[in-house]
Amino acid sequence: MDLALTKDQKMIQKSSREFFKKECPTDTVREIRAAPLGYDQKMWRKMVELGYPGLVLPEAYGGSGGDFIELALLMEEIGKSIVPSPFFSTIQCALAILEFGNEDQKEKHLPDIAEKGATWSFAHTEQHGRLDVSGVETRVAADGDGFVLNGTKLFVPYASSAGRFLTTARIETGSMDNSESGMVVFLVNAKADGVQIETIPTVACDDRCEVAFKNVRIPQNDILGNGEQGATIVDAIIQHSAVLKAAEMYGSARAVFELTVNYTKERKQFGRALASFQVVQHRLVNLLTEIDGLKYLVYKAAWAFSTRNPDRLLNSAAKLKANSVHAAVCRQGMYLHGAIGWTEEMDIGLYHRQTRAMDFDGGASDLHREQIACELEQRTPLFKQVLD
Amino acid sequence: MDFGFGEKEERFRTEIREFAKENLSSGKYWVMQAEGQTDDDWAFIMSVSKKLAEKKWLTLAWPEEHGGLGMSHIQRMVFEQEVGYWGIPGTTMGISGTGWVGPSLMIFGTDEQKKTYLPPIAAGDEDGIWCTGYSEPDSGSDLASLQTFAERVGDEYVINGQKVWTSCAHRAKWMWLAARTNRDVKKKHDGISLFLVDMQSKGLKVNPLRNFVGQHMFNEVFFDDVRIPAKNLVGVENNGWGQLMTALSFERGMAVCASGMMKRMIDELTEYSKETHRICDPLVRARLADMSMEVEKLALLSQEAAWKAERGEAVIHEPSRDKANMDEILDRLFQFGVELLEGYSLMDPTHRNNRWIRLKGMIEQCYYFVMGMAVAGGTTDTQRNIVANFGLQLPRS
Repeated sequence: MDLALTKDQKMIQKSSREFFKKECPTDTVREIRAAPLGYDQKMWRKMVELGYPGLVLPEAYGGSGGDFIELALLMEEIGKSIVPSPFFSTIQCALAILEFGNEDQKEKHLPDIAEKGATWSFAHTEQHGRLDVSGVETRVAADGDGFVLNGTKLFVPYASSAGRFLTTARIETGSMDNSESGMVVFLVNAKADGVQIETIPTVACDDRCEVAFKNVRIPQNDILGNGEQGATIVDAIIQHSAVLKAAEMYGSARAVFELTVNYTKERKQFGRALASFQVVQHRLVNLLTEIDGLKYLVYKAAWAFSTRNPDRLLNSAAKLKANSVHAAVCRQGMYLHGAIGWTEEMDIGLYHRQTRAMDFDGGASDLHREQIACELEQRTPLFKQVLD
Repeated sequence: MDFGFGEKEERFRTEIREFAKENLSSGKYWVMQAEGQTDDDWAFIMSVSKKLAEKKWLTLAWPEEHGGLGMSHIQRMVFEQEVGYWGIPGTTMGISGTGWVGPSLMIFGTDEQKKTYLPPIAAGDEDGIWCTGYSEPDSGSDLASLQTFAERVGDEYVINGQKVWTSCAHRAKWMWLAARTNRDVKKKHDGISLFLVDMQSKGLKVNPLRNFVGQHMFNEVFFDDVRIPAKNLVGVENNGWGQLMTALSFERGMAVCASGMMKRMIDELTEYSKETHRICDPLVRARLADMSMEVEKLALLSQEAAWKAERGEAVIHEPSRDKANMDEILDRLFQFGVELLEGYSLMDPTHRNNRWIRLKGMIEQCYYFVMGMAVAGGTTDTQRNIVANFGLQLPRS
């Protein structure tokens, strides 16, 4: 057991931290959020030049073959500096293509992402407002040598500028009795005829859109995986997204905590620093404990991915903890700041504006509670394995 | 970054599990009590101590010259995790012997003290059972204010005063005692000394204190002109506070063992939920998931201190952070446990062979015990003060 970062892990942590510190101070975040795209394309191009989107993609596809822990560390820095970018939404899709795509798909799309900064988005949630596949009503029907897609997706991030979508649909031959049957994932060109994109006003300013597919024609070879493998692919996306989003949330929570500790050390009332009051101290200590705990849940889950042996219970535990800790540190941080914390001039609000989007991406809390419960239910407990 | 354990650690883990299977498979699970409720329990605990001593596991952290195995911090952590999960009793030699009396004597003790007191602890003998005399009626979290007085008279010290919450005093042969040797000091931390006291001494009286469910774990200990030889002073007179801080630092790592125990409880509660079909209830599923996540978190957090120590880094606030968190999670976990047991949670856990007892009574046992745990080794809020001051460097309140 060694909790220290390797040389490569330290390097990506240090270089990305310095890069975002320089390129993405909070004033820049404010400017970007005020603009319609939700991100700065110049900054995105620099991230591509630094090899971020290809960090964990194999060298054969233009990536640098880094490990999953490095990617989690990069997400952590993105969280610390609240970097507005289509990085996460693109990586979500890239990892799914890497795992389930055929050779043609990988050769066609992964180098575009790694080297040219093509942006993707996962268009999956519909009117049920959730990530699980049960609410997918988008239909796809075979038509000649391809398919025709009809349906509407909601809260698709950075969709106005995305080049392509990974989208879920139910194939019309599939039975509606089983929510997981007949699920298919497609690679959809955002510029295809019949794709209509409209921005939804959301708090995080990450260009969440309604994406409507109206008789969109999809070529046969743009199915991801072996036909009706959609539910498996969505599950895989939830697994890696949970850990990566939790890593970002850990970075964000750590930054909010530092802002709050510094403020309570500087702010004086009754002739002494707020941080000298025991009631304040204990609140800070409790937050610190949860943030430290989140760190290890994230790192261990990422480590398990890096050993190609992902741990479903840990993935869900990391995201479940991230959801509660991020919201808690933002809210408690604001309370500890007093009235000023509630104003738009303070940076803490920039972080808190992301809370709901982060909670949703990679899976909301109840989804992960159920996943943990399934894991617990299915495994044979250690004491039975040994004593019986 | 590597969360995996090496071959050596994994082999050791397997060996401990075999030990558990051999010695504890008859449904015996000792949870958070070193003293045993009955004389039969105590005899069993001592018999396990003996077996642990034969494997040198009782003193696995001690250097080889003192009968130990000189194991690494990581290996010790593995042992503690397993002790917690399997509920292996008798690992502490009373409440203090292997943990801090032995290691402190190795640093501050005379050669004679080492020769006299270390071997019985390492051997798991009755003569190696120690209790610890720190707290007094007016000195709890504010330990340095202690008033029990030891006066040097010729070749002896004469001790007067009272200790309280003394776990295992009714079983112990020896007490590791902190007493004042000088009242005329500017700082209360000065003028304290550490002593080794024979529990059979004339004038020493042990009075049982029962907890609110009638269990006997700790005691009051009265000193009425108790005379001990001057050679039973540990280290330098009036210099005891620094030694005591060192001894307290050996008391760390409670969260490692507790996280092992909590993993067992998650497993037990899951099995119980499956057997009773409560697992179909979405509320039960959600609460199991929340508790499992908290236990995983604490298990990971509690590894940090051992890893730092292994690297030779200073371990400062981490054990306090983990102890406070452990207290909180224990409280939630057993609240959930008794709510899951519903009617069966009404049982008196000391009747663990009663036909209506479920899960060997361990859920109720812990439910009534966690308030004691929250106080032992420094209260939850005292631990938070330590984290605030030394971890976050916040100004003193």
